[in-house]
Amino acid sequence: MGNSEKIKTEKLNAWFGQKQALRDINLSIRANVVTAIIGPSGCGKSTLIRTLNRMHELVPGAKVSGRVLLDGKNIYDDDVDPVQIRRRVGMVFQKPNPFPTMSIYDNVAAGLKLMDAKKGPALDEVVKKCLQQASLWDEVKDDLKKPGTSLSGGQQQRLCIARALAVNPEVILMDEPCSALDPIATAKIESLIRDLSKEYTVVIVTHNMQQASRVSDYTAFLYLGELIEYGLTKDIFENPKNALTEKYITGEFG
Amino acid sequence: MSRLIDAGLEEQSALLCKMAELTYETVDLAIQSYLSGESAHRQVQEMSELLMAMAEEIEDKTFELISRFQPVASDLRTIKSYMKIAYDFSRYSRYALDISYVTDKLCGITECETWMRSFIQEVSEKVMKMVRISIDSLRKYDVALAKTVSTLEQEVDKIFIDYLNRLIEKVNVDPKCVISSVLVMRYLERIADHATYVCEAIVYIATGEKILLR
Repeated sequence: MGNSEKIKTEKLNAWFGQKQALRDINLSIRANVVTAIIGPSGCGKSTLIRTLNRMHELVPGAKVSGRVLLDGKNIYDDDVDPVQIRRRVGMVFQKPNPFPTMSIYDNVAAGLKLMDAKKGPALDEVVKKCLQQASLWDEVKDDLKKPGTSLSGGQQQRLCIARALAVNPEVILMDEPCSALDPIATAKIESLIRDLSKEYTVVIVTHNMQQASRVSDYTAFLYLGELIEYGLTKDIFENPKNALTEKYITGEFG
Repeated sequence: MSRLIDAGLEEQSALLCKMAELTYETVDLAIQSYLSGESAHRQVQEMSELLMAMAEEIEDKTFELISRFQPVASDLRTIKSYMKIAYDFSRYSRYALDISYVTDKLCGITECETWMRSFIQEVSEKVMKMVRISIDSLRKYDVALAKTVSTLEQEVDKIFIDYLNRLIEKVNVDPKCVISSVLVMRYLERIADHATYVCEAIVYIATGEKILLR
């Protein structure tokens, strides 16, 4: 695939207090593809994606060293505003977390209202577009005033994706977005992830190997905080080069 | 701790090894029959049908393993290749059946000229050697052994072409001998091709490399 590099990590290390979670990660994430990060519990998957939009530093005692280049610019440079980075690099979490007191409409519009970017009909248009992109519009268009929490789990997750899209990010990070969903809701999110990769760069952390092989173009395997293998998903799942990757994906350990 | 998929893989492997020995016997029986002129058609047919059924069983089991366990990496390569090898083994026996049919309907090579017998004898030995290599390299995923078929495959192809050229030059050869020997030579050459495919599949299982030994 000839896609350009969107994010590059260089000698990226991360700690929680004294405990080192990531070790010298050098990873090149391509634009407009889906990159899956796999590995056993505690290997640093979630930490890695949280370093990609400076969310890791929000944890007390957390520390990062090395560089994360977004379009060639290190997001940890002193002149970079982490809020701007989090706008450009959005995040969808494991458990759907719509704002509990807000309507479906307001959940999507919240980010834009905070930025004071759009109002009135222009805002309506953005909300509609994002709900359409998240494949949720047809299901909620007549109930936009209802609470976001009134939706099913799968719908709530798509609402969170619509909310992430509203601020027009370039990269969407997803931390096990389907782990709380049933197979039908999961299939919808997976199909949505593929669609989103046409316009956005998507990085997904998943425990589910079959999900990684279904949705991603590239896969990175992490073990004990180290990047063991990274390559085309097709190659990783058919012919991994590293014995550890082979053992993990075939279920010999994990 | 063994994985749930392991029992299925072992079952497939055992069935394939059983197929391997039976297909060797089938090809050998058909060739010996052609070389001696003694019919073995019925027996070859029974063995061939059994091998076809076994190949189908492996195919069914392959789909079951894929749908139940979603294999990846070496598991996936093994399962996919087992199905392919089972098909190749069934093709060995199908050509063996064709050889035994020719022996019955036309003639064995004993009725033909000596130079013709020599060609058939030589190609038969090489083909049986290739079949044996394909079976033995499967048992231990012996990549080095599997790769040795390449030279034999080229030799078999060359003998086939040389034989056709000799026949073109000859006059007054019994048409029954011409037809039977060309058909048998062609079937043996096809068995050699399938033995080569099996060896390529073994290299793929063991290394993940897709190489051509043809």
